[in-house]
Amino acid sequence: MIEHAVPNEAIAVTGLVKRFGSRTVLDAIDLHVPQGQVIGLLGLNGSGKSTLIKCLLGLLRTDAGSALVLGTPAWDLADREKSRIGYVPQEATLYPWLTVSQTVAYVASFYPRWDRAWGEELLARWDLPPGHNTGVLSVGQKQKLALVLALGHRPDLLILDEPVASLDPVARRWFLEAVLETTANGVGTVLFSTHITSDLERVASHVAILREGHVVFHDELDLLKDRVKRLRLEASTALPADLAVPGLLRAEVEGTRALLTVDGVTPALLADLRQRLQTNVTVDDLNLEEIFLELHSGTAAHPHTAR
Amino acid sequence: MSRADPIFVVHPSSGVPIYRQLIDQVEALVAGGGLQPGDTVPSVRQVAAALGINMMTVSKAWSRLEADGLLQRDRGRGMVVAVSQETRSLADRKGQVRALVDQAVVRGLQLGLSPAQILAVVKSSLEEKSS
Repeated sequence: MIEHAVPNEAIAVTGLVKRFGSRTVLDAIDLHVPQGQVIGLLGLNGSGKSTLIKCLLGLLRTDAGSALVLGTPAWDLADREKSRIGYVPQEATLYPWLTVSQTVAYVASFYPRWDRAWGEELLARWDLPPGHNTGVLSVGQKQKLALVLALGHRPDLLILDEPVASLDPVARRWFLEAVLETTANGVGTVLFSTHITSDLERVASHVAILREGHVVFHDELDLLKDRVKRLRLEASTALPADLAVPGLLRAEVEGTRALLTVDGVTPALLADLRQRLQTNVTVDDLNLEEIFLELHSGTAAHPHTAR
Repeated sequence: MSRADPIFVVHPSSGVPIYRQLIDQVEALVAGGGLQPGDTVPSVRQVAAALGINMMTVSKAWSRLEADGLLQRDRGRGMVVAVSQETRSLADRKGQVRALVDQAVVRGLQLGLSPAQILAVVKSSLEEKSS
């Protein structure tokens, strides 16, 4: 499989801790991303996504642990490594007095590997007016320009911090295609944080879910969907309020009916439930947004939360 | 296989992983004769580009199908439908459809539709799709 063909890790984070004052924002994060992967970073506001991304870019110093990016400690990234990374921040900073094409030429001058034809193709694809000052662009256009600036040198590692929030559906589709093109050679790696789970579901092979500074899930997206299911129980007699089910994320019991969200549904578990509780069990598939919500329901410690 | 001729359709936001959707569709096409033994299936790259999805996802589906013996790798031609593949029994094919119908029926009952109304929905879908 492709995963094993490229053993090099684009990102290798081990035991990373980041504190702001007395507040621990990232607590012993482990995250290993092999080259060629598209990984989505999901989390609520304040879960530590942007902080993690800034640590990876060497914009913030970590308090403990290590973060290797393209084999180099993030804090020590030199120009040579930085020129292999593309980054799109939440809000693009552009010089409003430069035109679109001047901005592209300015940024291109920093990158020995800048691909002019590719940059121009992206500008055309996204309908960016080359002669307009960036100051008069709409929010969405600025976001598109920031993407062109991050993609134009064909980076080995593309890091995007909620890049698509202000893009319309058509532009988002173009963006996703550009992301896939980045990884089509099997070497390019993409990490992007987002709230729009449907974009992630289309292009991401892996997903990492951050909750309160911990990685509560990190694996293949498909595996997450295979594992987490909603069970609908209908028994002839009242069900016990306290259902002991391994991997239970959330339970709603009402008389003879119950809705359970379970991480790790197996045929054996279903057979056990049917027998033990004398109940009908229907299994519902959950999409990423539903799973994300379930993982964040209630305050009970999640089984994957290392505390 | 060109972009204008997609035989696969995926719904990324479904609870069913994309690779499983692809496996189901190849299995259904083979079972129903839409893909014959010896037919080439589109390459990982082609399917990924046409559907705008990750190549790894398609690669995983094709690998699983190969492991199950439904597809085999043919030097120079890519993945082809295995020649030894016997057409699945009618009972088996019905079983596959039954599982999908069960889900739809449960949803229909939850939405308060009567059995007759659910049947009418199925019938209109059949008329649309088989015409």
